[in-house]
Amino acid sequence: MAVLKINNVSKSFGNIKAVDNASFSVPEGSIFGLLGRNGAGKTTTIRMIMNIYLPDSGEISFGNIKAGPNFNSRVGYLPEERGLYKKMKVLETLLFFAEIKGKKGKEVTKLAKEYLEKFDLADRINSKIEDLSKGNQQKIQFIATLLHNPEVLILDELFSGLDPINTNLMKNIIMDFKKEGKIILFSTHVMSFAEKMCDNIAIIDKGKIKINGSLSEIKAKYSQKNISLNYTGDISFLKEHPIIENISDYGNSVGIKVKEEEHIQQLLKLLVENNVEVKKFDANDISLEEIFIDTVGKEEEEVEHV
Amino acid sequence: MFNYRVIALIKRELREKLLSKTFILMTLLLPLFMFGAIAMQTFIMSFDSEKNVVEIIAEDSAISSGLEKIIRESSFVKDSTIIPIIQNMTKTEFADYLKIKEKDLLNEKITGIIFIPNSALTDKKIEYYSKTPKNLRLLERIDNPINKVLVEEYFSSKNIPTEELKYARMSVDILSYKICKGEEIKEEGYGGLVLSYLFSFLLYFSLLMIGSMVMQSVIQEKSNRIVELLLSSVTSKELMTGKIFGAAITGLLQMAIWLSPVIVVASTSWFMLPEEITINITFIQIIYLLVNFFLGLLVFIGLFATVGSIFENPQDAQSGMWPILMLIMIPFFISMSMIENPSNPIGFVASLIPFSAIIVMPARMALVDVPLWQILLSTLINIATVIVIFPVAGKIYRVGIMMTGKKPSWGEVVKWLKYKY
Repeated sequence: MAVLKINNVSKSFGNIKAVDNASFSVPEGSIFGLLGRNGAGKTTTIRMIMNIYLPDSGEISFGNIKAGPNFNSRVGYLPEERGLYKKMKVLETLLFFAEIKGKKGKEVTKLAKEYLEKFDLADRINSKIEDLSKGNQQKIQFIATLLHNPEVLILDELFSGLDPINTNLMKNIIMDFKKEGKIILFSTHVMSFAEKMCDNIAIIDKGKIKINGSLSEIKAKYSQKNISLNYTGDISFLKEHPIIENISDYGNSVGIKVKEEEHIQQLLKLLVENNVEVKKFDANDISLEEIFIDTVGKEEEEVEHV
Repeated sequence: MFNYRVIALIKRELREKLLSKTFILMTLLLPLFMFGAIAMQTFIMSFDSEKNVVEIIAEDSAISSGLEKIIRESSFVKDSTIIPIIQNMTKTEFADYLKIKEKDLLNEKITGIIFIPNSALTDKKIEYYSKTPKNLRLLERIDNPINKVLVEEYFSSKNIPTEELKYARMSVDILSYKICKGEEIKEEGYGGLVLSYLFSFLLYFSLLMIGSMVMQSVIQEKSNRIVELLLSSVTSKELMTGKIFGAAITGLLQMAIWLSPVIVVASTSWFMLPEEITINITFIQIIYLLVNFFLGLLVFIGLFATVGSIFENPQDAQSGMWPILMLIMIPFFISMSMIENPSNPIGFVASLIPFSAIIVMPARMALVDVPLWQILLSTLINIATVIVIFPVAGKIYRVGIMMTGKKPSWGEVVKWLKYKY
């Protein structure tokens, strides 16, 4: 097993710089989340890893293999927009996708049947794809991604369009893969999933990597002097208060940054004195969503003003 | 070029195409349809002359009695496609008669009235009155007996021996001979013509059918977003190669099925064909036809696949298809016009220029004895065409299949050629 490395990769389409000098790496046995808004450059980055786009500059490597057909045959890839041949039969489809990855024969057929069994699709083995429900078509796509026993899983916008059962199914698959020491990289804009699953993350915005590293370290760094607060009442009196650095409203919760470590207790006291009903008060804690919005959201406002 | 990925792709294409209902139906039905069309035409033509009542009026009684004798013996009277009424009256009588019969002519109770004045014995001019005087088929049948009677009548007063009279009555019968190098001169029938028609039609149908099948399947892969999944395993070059070869093999198989009756007819004596439609085709020629066709498939399927990759739905693709249609249809019409005049210089030129060589050369070969160097040259030109268009087509395909959103303009497509992908 080896590390998946993305080194100073850039890609432009005409005048638009889709990915700008992006670097990150994914160690074995870990889950990596590539986070960003729509159009931030996640899909372009992933397509470069899959050699669907050639980078203008920079390099992608997996151990000593460069991006290309050799690397691709070790990868299970699930694109954001997933399609299958509608007229093909279930087993035929699975065997075809395994064959173009270089796997064929009785073993693969056996494994395909095992997967179909596991995913409750054993009775649909000779059905045409078009006769399956959307949820079942997704399951077929998962199996097609896994059947050649890849060393790396790359999943673009993993959770978009999945029903809750399939979401759970996919989560279990990812966790099993991690246990086997494999590499999983997925992109998403659903922060709650990323927060629960990822070991490492990168936040990408306008083609640039803004934050990159271990999720726990990033959270530790951002959570200092930060309070995650749920409440009812009026906290407007805090706005001009000298101990407050800034207040960010995230909808469900409010993130409050204080100037000094000892201000945290003062803040709690202030809230109680001002009859604010405190429901949750997490000191030195921050959610990934808060980090994400802090990193990316400010520019969103700028964009909106234009 | 043919690694396990390409082979897997070709296998999938073959399975999809060979087992598709369209393919099976078209392969089996096209020959039936072609024979059916010919039979239908014959049937319709036999239909038209069922109730043709034609009055033939001669000024001279000798002519009318002569006509009576000859026409009654004619086959078209016996099978009652034309019912002749032969009479005898003077020019002034006829003028009145015509007025009386005007109504019958207008409501087509009588198809036409032929008047043979005495002057016809000097200038052979006769008159035909009808609502549809340009019924060529009918006149063609009737003018020969009239001519015979006039000739007979004219010479009867001249005291000429019957043998010479017989000669004068005969019409010209052209026997055509094809001159081939190194072979004895043979009487040439319609076999070459039939073959030429056949090759042109089969090529035309097959290129269009297989080509548009490939285009549809490229559009389908693009619009169903299968292509991204495919590209995560195979390169776009492999994908295009697999697609084109899969379809070309399908086409070749189809052509072999279509040509097999021709091969059987030409190479055995099981079928006793009339002398004039003997088909002369050698095994080498069949091989050449299939090789030429395979090259043609590569070229045109490549073009169709490229057009398919540019567009996201079949409606848009229709508008992008016309340049390819022109490349197929113009040579097809050149082939058809060559049947009228096989040594047409346009045919010669067209059989040696890229794209049209594929369609024109086989048709030309069936009609005239094409020198070997020209056949080799046209094959080389076809191979060169494949070599030249593939990098360009591959590049457009590469960019096109991943390009979604609005329909691109031709200018944008040209820009794609500069993209680094």
